[in-house]
Amino acid sequence: MSTYSRRKFLKVAAATGLVVACAPAASPSASPSGAAPSQAKGLTGTITVSYPDELGVKPKYVDQAAQAVQTKNSGTTVKVDLQKISDDLYYPKLLLALQSGADVPDVFHFGGDSIGELADAGYIEPLDTYVNAWADWSQYPASIKQGATYKGHVWAIPYGMDTRWLYFRRDDLQKAGLAADWMPTKLADVVTAAAAVKSKEANVQPYALYAGAAASDGARDHAFVPLVWAYGGDVVTSDGKWVGNSAAIRKALTYYQTVYTQGLSPKEILTSTKPWTAMRAKLGDGSLALLFEGGWVYGGWASKDQAGTQKNVGYILHPTENGGPSFTIGGLGTCWYITAKSKNKDLAWEFIKTWNNKDTVAKINIEDPHPVARSDSADVAEFKAQQYLVDSTKSLEKAKFLPPDPNLSKITTAIQKATGRVANGDSSPDDAAKQYSADLKQAIGADKVIEQ
Amino acid sequence: MDRGAEASAPPLRGPAYPLNVVGRNSTYVAGVMPAAALLALFFVGPALWALYSSLTNLALVGIDAANPRFVGIDNYTRLLADPDFWTVIRNSVTFVVGSAVIGQFGLGLGLALLIDHAEHRRWWLGTLAYGAVLLAWVNPTLIAGFLWVAMYDFFFGSLNHVFLSSLGASPVDWLGSFPMPAVIVANIWRGTAFTMIIFLGALKTIPPDIYEAARIDGANAWRRFWDHTLPSLRPIAALALLSITMSTFGTFIVIQTLTNGGPGINTEVIALYAFHTAFKSFSIGYGSAIAVVMLALNFAFAILYLRWSRARA
Repeated sequence: MSTYSRRKFLKVAAATGLVVACAPAASPSASPSGAAPSQAKGLTGTITVSYPDELGVKPKYVDQAAQAVQTKNSGTTVKVDLQKISDDLYYPKLLLALQSGADVPDVFHFGGDSIGELADAGYIEPLDTYVNAWADWSQYPASIKQGATYKGHVWAIPYGMDTRWLYFRRDDLQKAGLAADWMPTKLADVVTAAAAVKSKEANVQPYALYAGAAASDGARDHAFVPLVWAYGGDVVTSDGKWVGNSAAIRKALTYYQTVYTQGLSPKEILTSTKPWTAMRAKLGDGSLALLFEGGWVYGGWASKDQAGTQKNVGYILHPTENGGPSFTIGGLGTCWYITAKSKNKDLAWEFIKTWNNKDTVAKINIEDPHPVARSDSADVAEFKAQQYLVDSTKSLEKAKFLPPDPNLSKITTAIQKATGRVANGDSSPDDAAKQYSADLKQAIGADKVIEQ
Repeated sequence: MDRGAEASAPPLRGPAYPLNVVGRNSTYVAGVMPAAALLALFFVGPALWALYSSLTNLALVGIDAANPRFVGIDNYTRLLADPDFWTVIRNSVTFVVGSAVIGQFGLGLGLALLIDHAEHRRWWLGTLAYGAVLLAWVNPTLIAGFLWVAMYDFFFGSLNHVFLSSLGASPVDWLGSFPMPAVIVANIWRGTAFTMIIFLGALKTIPPDIYEAARIDGANAWRRFWDHTLPSLRPIAALALLSITMSTFGTFIVIQTLTNGGPGINTEVIALYAFHTAFKSFSIGYGSAIAVVMLALNFAFAILYLRWSRARA
C-alpha cells in the first residue's frame, strides 16, 4: 500500500469535486524546541477563540479573558466564537474545520482525553516552550502535567479536572427499606439496592447504567471502564495495548446483563438522543435512585435546590467486586488547545495564560463543579468553603485514568457496541466480549489488542 | 445555404454529430446548465470524493488524518466481513418494506381511494382527512421525529401517559421493546401524504365513462376497482413505489431522532451506519465505503425507475 502525503491526497480529492471541505492542511508544526515564543515582542493581530457551551457558565469568563488580553495588548483583537451546542456536536464540526483548514480557530476548548488523536492528526501545537516560560506552570501538580503530556510534549492546558461519583437518592433508598447511611461494600450491593427500589417504588427508576451508542462517552467513562476496573481487570495495559477479552470484561458485561434483564436500568438509554440529560434530571428530582456520573453534574442539581440536593443526593466512590478499595475514574477535564494552523500562536497562548489564572480557575470550578487543576486555586477561600468541591478534589487521590490514546474514538465505538448488544439482549456477555475483541482488532489493529 | 456543398460534405461521424446536437439544442442546453452545474457541485463531486476516499484509510483524527493511505478495496472487504453491516442491511430492508412498500404505498393508495370516493360524494370528511395527512407531510422531518418521541416516551409520552393509563394498562417501553415497528409507524405517518397525492392525481385522470359502462354491465365496486381502477393506476403506482423506496432507503433524521439506531443496532439503517462510522468513530474511509454501497443500491433503484418509466412512456 502506498503512502500519500495529506497535501497530495487532499489535492486529488479537491480535484474530484469536493471543493468546499478539502483545502490542504499543513503538516504538523515543528518541534516545540524550535522557534521560541516571541513573548518579548509586543503582541499584535487577531485570534479566534472557539468553544462549546450549553450551560451558560463559561461565556463570562471567556469574555473577561478576551477583554483582559485586548486591554493589556493594545491593537490586538480576540474574537470569541461561542457554539451553544453539546461537546458531542461540537467535536465533529471542529474536526471538519481542522481537517479542511477552513475557518480554523486559533484556540479551542475540548476534553483532554482527545490529546492523543488530535496530536497525531497534526491539528494542535505543542506548548512546551510556552509552559516552560510560564511561572504559573509550577502550580500544576506533576500528575496533571503528566496527563497533559503525550509523546513527550505538553499539548493542552486543563483547568478543571474530571471526577465521577456513584450518586444515590437517600430518600428513594430509604423508601425502599435501605439504611439512611447506605454504603455499598461491594458491587453487588448496588444491584441489590436497585432491585429493592424496583420492588417498592413503581414511579422511581432504580438505576441508570449507560450502554450503547446513544450514551456516547458515558458508556465508556461512566459504566464499562469503571466496571472492568471494579472486577479487577484492565481495559488497557501499561504498554498501551487494549484488552479485548478477559475475565473482568466478561464479568462487566454480565453485570450489564443482570441490570438490564432485571429491568433495573431504563432501556430508553439505548434509544434516546443524549440520554444523560434525562438521567441527570431524573436523579435530580428523585425519579431515579442510582447513577454513576460526572462530578460536574452535582452543580446542576445544587443550583436548582441547594438544600434539597445536600439532603437527598449522596455521592460515593465506585465499589469493587469483593469489597476492595473503592475508586473513581479521573480525567483531564476540558482543556485549552492552540491549533497548529494558528497564525498567531503567541497571542493564542496569551489568551490561554490569561484565562488560567488562579482566581478564574477557582471561580469557574465553583460554578461548574470540578476539582481545580491549579493547586493554588484550591486555596481560594470560596473554593475551600464548598464541601462537595473539597471532596471532589480529594477523590482524585483514588482516581484511575485512561491514557490519551490516539484511537480512543474507535475504541469508544467498540465499547458502545459491546455494551449495547448485551443491554438489549442481542448477545450473551461471552459473545459480546468475543465480538468486542474482534471489533477492537478491526478498528485499531490486531497488534494493539491482547486477550487476558 | 449552399445545398450542393451540404450534399458533398463527408458523412457525419466521430464527435461532429454530438457537437451538432448540442449546437442545434443550445437553448435547451443553456437551460439545463445551471441545474447540471449544481448537481455536479453538490452531488457528482461529493460522490466521486466519497468513492475515492472509500479506497483510503482517511480519518478525522489520529495518524490517518495526517497521513491517509491508499488501501485499495480493503474497506469493502472489511465491510463484507462486518457482521454489523449485514444486520444494518437487514434493518434497512425491513424498514423499506414495512415503511415504504406496505405502509406508505398501501396506506397512501387506500387513503387516496377513500378521499376520492368522499370527494365524488362531496363529503367534507374527505377534505379534512386530506388536510390532516398533508399536515404530517409539511412538518419538517426533525419536528415529526420529536412529535413521535413525545408519543413514545416511556414516562411522559402520550401513548403511555394518556392512552394506556386511561385503560389502566401498564406503560410500554415502545422504543426499547418495539424499536423497528415504532420507527416504521412514525415514518409511515410522515410520508404517506406523498403517495396519497400521487394516487389522487392519477385517480382524477381515469375517465368516468369507464365506470359508467362497468356499472351498466353490472360490475360491483370490487370488480370496478380490480378491472378498471387498478390497471389504470399501475404505471404511476410503479413509479411511486420506486420513488418512495429510494427516499426511504436513505432515511436518516426520523430514526436518528427516535432511536439513534438503537437499542443496540436494532434500528441502525445504512444511512445512519455511514454517519456513525464517519462522524462518531471518525473513520471517513470506512464510512465512505458504506456510503458508496448505499449509493450503488440507490443507483440500481434509479435505473429500475428509469427503465420502468421509459417502458411506460
